[in-house]
Amino acid sequence: MSDTRLTPFVAVFQTELLFNLKRVAPYALMLVFSANAVLWWGWGPAVARGWAVNSDFYIVWLLGGFSFMTTPLFIALLMGDPVIRDFRVGIDPLIFSKPVGRAAYLLGKFCGNYVVLVCCQACFALTALALQAFSRPGMIVLAPRLLPYLQHFLFFVGVTSLALGAICFTVGTLTRNVKLVYGLAVSFYPLYIAWQLTLKGLPWRWRIVLDPLLFNVGGNAWQGQSADWLNHLTVSYDGDMIANRAAMCAVALVCLGIVHARFSLVERVRADAARHQPTLLNLAPRAERLYGEAESFGAAQVAQASEQVAPAGAVGAGKPGALPEVRIVTQGWRATLDQFRAALGVEFRLLRAERSLVVVAPLVLFLCCLELAVYEIAPAPSYSAAYAGRTAEALLLFLFAVAVFYTGETMHRDREARIEPVLWSVPAPNLVLLLSKFAATLLLSLALITLVGVSAAGLQLYKGHAPLEPQIYLKTYAVILAPGIIFMIAAAVALNILLRDKYLTYAASLAVGGGFYYLTGQGYNHWLYNPVLYRLWTPADLVGGDALTRILVHRAYTLALSVLLLALALLCFERKATKDLTEQGRLSGAGWTTLVALVSVAVAVVTGLIVSAGT
Amino acid sequence: MLARAHKRAMLQIKQLKKTYASGVQALKGIDLEVGAGVFGLLGPNGAGKTTLMKILATLLEPDGGEVAVDGVDFIGQKTAARRMLGYLPQEFGLYPTLTAEQTLAYFARLKGVTDAKERARLIDALLDRVNLNAARGQRVGGFSGGMRQRLGIAQALIGRPRLIIVDEPTAGLDPEERNRFHNLLSEIAGADTVVLLSTHIVSDVSNLCGTMAIIRRGEIIAFRTPRAALAEMADAVWEATVAREQLAALKARCRVISTQMFEGQMRVRVLSQNGRPGTEFCPVSPTLEDYYLNLASQPEGVN
Repeated sequence: MSDTRLTPFVAVFQTELLFNLKRVAPYALMLVFSANAVLWWGWGPAVARGWAVNSDFYIVWLLGGFSFMTTPLFIALLMGDPVIRDFRVGIDPLIFSKPVGRAAYLLGKFCGNYVVLVCCQACFALTALALQAFSRPGMIVLAPRLLPYLQHFLFFVGVTSLALGAICFTVGTLTRNVKLVYGLAVSFYPLYIAWQLTLKGLPWRWRIVLDPLLFNVGGNAWQGQSADWLNHLTVSYDGDMIANRAAMCAVALVCLGIVHARFSLVERVRADAARHQPTLLNLAPRAERLYGEAESFGAAQVAQASEQVAPAGAVGAGKPGALPEVRIVTQGWRATLDQFRAALGVEFRLLRAERSLVVVAPLVLFLCCLELAVYEIAPAPSYSAAYAGRTAEALLLFLFAVAVFYTGETMHRDREARIEPVLWSVPAPNLVLLLSKFAATLLLSLALITLVGVSAAGLQLYKGHAPLEPQIYLKTYAVILAPGIIFMIAAAVALNILLRDKYLTYAASLAVGGGFYYLTGQGYNHWLYNPVLYRLWTPADLVGGDALTRILVHRAYTLALSVLLLALALLCFERKATKDLTEQGRLSGAGWTTLVALVSVAVAVVTGLIVSAGT
Repeated sequence: MLARAHKRAMLQIKQLKKTYASGVQALKGIDLEVGAGVFGLLGPNGAGKTTLMKILATLLEPDGGEVAVDGVDFIGQKTAARRMLGYLPQEFGLYPTLTAEQTLAYFARLKGVTDAKERARLIDALLDRVNLNAARGQRVGGFSGGMRQRLGIAQALIGRPRLIIVDEPTAGLDPEERNRFHNLLSEIAGADTVVLLSTHIVSDVSNLCGTMAIIRRGEIIAFRTPRAALAEMADAVWEATVAREQLAALKARCRVISTQMFEGQMRVRVLSQNGRPGTEFCPVSPTLEDYYLNLASQPEGVN
């Protein structure tokens, strides 16, 4: 006989499994994790250092690296929003009106998603397990083994994910803000690095007990040992490691206890909404004029007829035709410019209101300036050039993320907010609606660049590396970063238009970005397919001469590509104005866009040829 | 069937067709001519009302046909069409972090009200008209459904639109807000403006519209003034209260328009042009709902 107390838990648990089965994210994670395992197996340090790819030591080493690189973000992805989702889609009243206890609901949600998460992560261990059957030249493979993979996976990854998953779940459920969970996941890295630095002075056993990822396992006993010694090492769990894992399980339990105690089923009332009490606003007059429940048209007609002779002001503050006459200008460049300014103002205001910026901006600042703060900077060719150059290189990666994610948010906001039909019916050209989104993201990126630049300059002064040359900062950021970010945002806009799905665009952008990063790392780096100049310049190149000329021509090439991408986005935009290239004998919007696209292709070809000849 | 208004036709729709990729034929060649005033488009869910509204709002491309307002081609000249348009969709949102005033200012600028002073005056008047003046500085994220709807109609009024499309505007509003909204719509309609009200709520049409059309499965099956519609059914609607068990026999014998439970029994309204259908029936005044339900329940092909 089944236990009826378990039924709600099982129902919630099963639904979570079913829901995740139909999502793209778990399958994408499985693919990413398996690919990760293949990469570490074939192209990791094992071959170079003589480590056996299926030794206990290497398995633990792999799982540690895997945890560090993937755990926070992917745990946040799966564990942050299971409860938020119910409130977002509005199914919460249907669930909570059933005899489902808080414990069963929360536990079902947590366990369902945790199981999915572990299944995804297990793909990493299972792929590594399967790869024992293969080998590459120079690779050492011990006799096939099964247990260490499963045992170490559960011990190192499973328990870590339990604790971090519980933290993400608790934060997401109690704040009902998934962006906060992502912020937490992103901030995990600096926090974890800072925590490791704090632990550095402690004895090894405490460094193991207090390390949430068990990164310090082995302590100094493994350091400096030969490959052969490591290959024959059997990793067993001592008291410190077990205490660490027990503490992680306790953290998970405490989090689940907190979420159970604090979780509320009632709807949240926004602070400003509560203050203004909108439901009490009742200034509109009662509707005496027309009868909503008129029995027949005759009755309604009588009501309408009586209204027509009612004195003005008897009903409502206004009367027909009371709106003031205004001048409407929708044609000409001045009107378009005014529309653009209005749209840009609103887009930027909405972008500024993104809560994730509270985390992202300080994080970008911290990581870009970390190197400057910690290491000694050589004045090559000058301190300002070196400071600007280092921050520019570091900023590129963050600007890529900003371009992809904030452009995605901006491009899909109207549809998600369901304001799109209203916006698309106004007489504003597509140029205004699209370019305002592009410009808002660009402004945000420029604000981040300025923030980092000012901080770097401040740091330069603080470290006594005079003289400060603001023009060098300006030149570096304007020549290296500005065209790069313009290109990345333009590409993100075009991708969002072409793919029409935010998450598909994110995946495609990350794949392109990751592929590009990998190829440049492998030495495949050419000026023509590197529009952001990644690893192709040094601060000395900006001083002048041929190098600067080549860079400037390349920047023109990048800008031409950006214009081409924007023109492409405009031509493929779902909102149609006119199909024809001409209208009443003049170029239409589509005509102008096509012309601009052709000119930008010509400029890109010419500048591309010049850049090619120069390299 | 060409549905034609007696007044000068401002909105002209000819042979408008739309079939979705899924194969659903949403519009099967709509012909309509509508004059100034409030025009009601009545139909059940899935009849094609929203498809028609979206095409008129330049958001959806038809497969064929023509739409013109005062001679401006709404299919080929979308930019010109949008200058004449005010649109309040069935489901719409607003940026929750903007205030009511900021929202209207944004739409006013997009609609071409470039002068700041004129814009401020217009926004004042609009907020006054929709009774949101006291909430002008409040973020729209905290608005109730009725307030949001009123703000929606305020933005639709910007720019002297000649065609105002309101799609199911009263769905989800409480009776008081609904009446308020009716008042507002009746005030909007002028001598040179068509207010196209799409709804499945019959009382919306009976309260507001001088002319109406009934759409079913992508076809216009009736085009009348509500008065003419009622006149057609004069002395032909009968009502009786019967036991539930008698209903099947009654349906076989009479044309049942509607049934409603009342104190445990069925209150039945039937259409009979040939006198009293039975001794238990008594004559009642026809309502627009009778007319609509009678048409909507007829088999396909009967116009």
